[in-house]
Amino acid sequence: MARRLTAALELGAWWVALAGLWLVLIQTVDTLECGVGAGAALLAAYGGRAARRAAVRR
Amino acid sequence: MGGDLPVVVALLLVAVAGTAAVLARDPVRQAAVLAGLGLALALLFAVLQAPDVALSQLAVGTALTPLMVLLSVRKVRRKARSERREEHE
Amino acid sequence: MNGWLAAACALLLVGFLPALLGICTGPVRRRVLAQNLATVLAALVMLLLSQGYARPSYTDMALVLAVLGPVGTLVYERLLGEELRASRPRPLVTRTMTVLGVAPVPAVVLPVCVAATPGRTTLKLLFIGCLLVAGSALCTRALTTPPGGGGSDGR
Repeated sequence: MARRLTAALELGAWWVALAGLWLVLIQTVDTLECGVGAGAALLAAYGGRAARRAAVRR
Repeated sequence: MGGDLPVVVALLLVAVAGTAAVLARDPVRQAAVLAGLGLALALLFAVLQAPDVALSQLAVGTALTPLMVLLSVRKVRRKARSERREEHE
Repeated sequence: MNGWLAAACALLLVGFLPALLGICTGPVRRRVLAQNLATVLAALVMLLLSQGYARPSYTDMALVLAVLGPVGTLVYERLLGEELRASRPRPLVTRTMTVLGVAPVPAVVLPVCVAATPGRTTLKLLFIGCLLVAGSALCTRALTTPPGGGGSDGR
């Protein structure tokens, strides 16, 4: 249970950071951009967590 | 004339880098010169108001070209080394 | 022709051209170090051009260059590692290359930040500046540290 919670927390942290980065880097902020950014940030959050775990396990 | 100065400077840089790329003989050194030529070309495209072309030039020129050249150099060197070892045996 | 374009031309002639000549001559490691320096300077020129032409989309090129430049340099570190780190460069060379690769970044990014409209653009420019500094410092360190010196953190 605790492990699942930390996993969710880590994903959330990645998502917040990456979605913030998206918001900073796009040119105009509108609803469509925000939706696409949220989805892309979620995908990238999984990728970021996987990459961090691979780097730590090495 | 004043507005053309960046274009002239970028063309000069491309000419320098292109000449050096032709004159370089060793592939490893030529890979570095090619990366520099890619940068100069991207700057030229940017100055000529074509940022999209410059973007693709950056992607290809700075990372991809040296990677391919260096990968082939490494493969050739390894092959040469193993053949030499076979001759010794 | 405004001040930003003049500054971009000056940076091209004073900074980028010597770095290009450094790429075109000399041993392999000096060429790769000079290439690292040239990518940083090219990204800074892109930032100046985006102000000079008043086209914010030009900053995207600087962003892409800030991400891809270190990748292109670390390719050499990965594929020619033993050859590059066989000898240790003089400490003066290491220090000079680190300073040359890092010092121009704030000197260009901060004025551009001040001149740009405050808000998200400022954050974006600062992010590009941080990427440039980090990438340049990391590449210089990876290229100048001998094996066993703790600098071989390229995966």
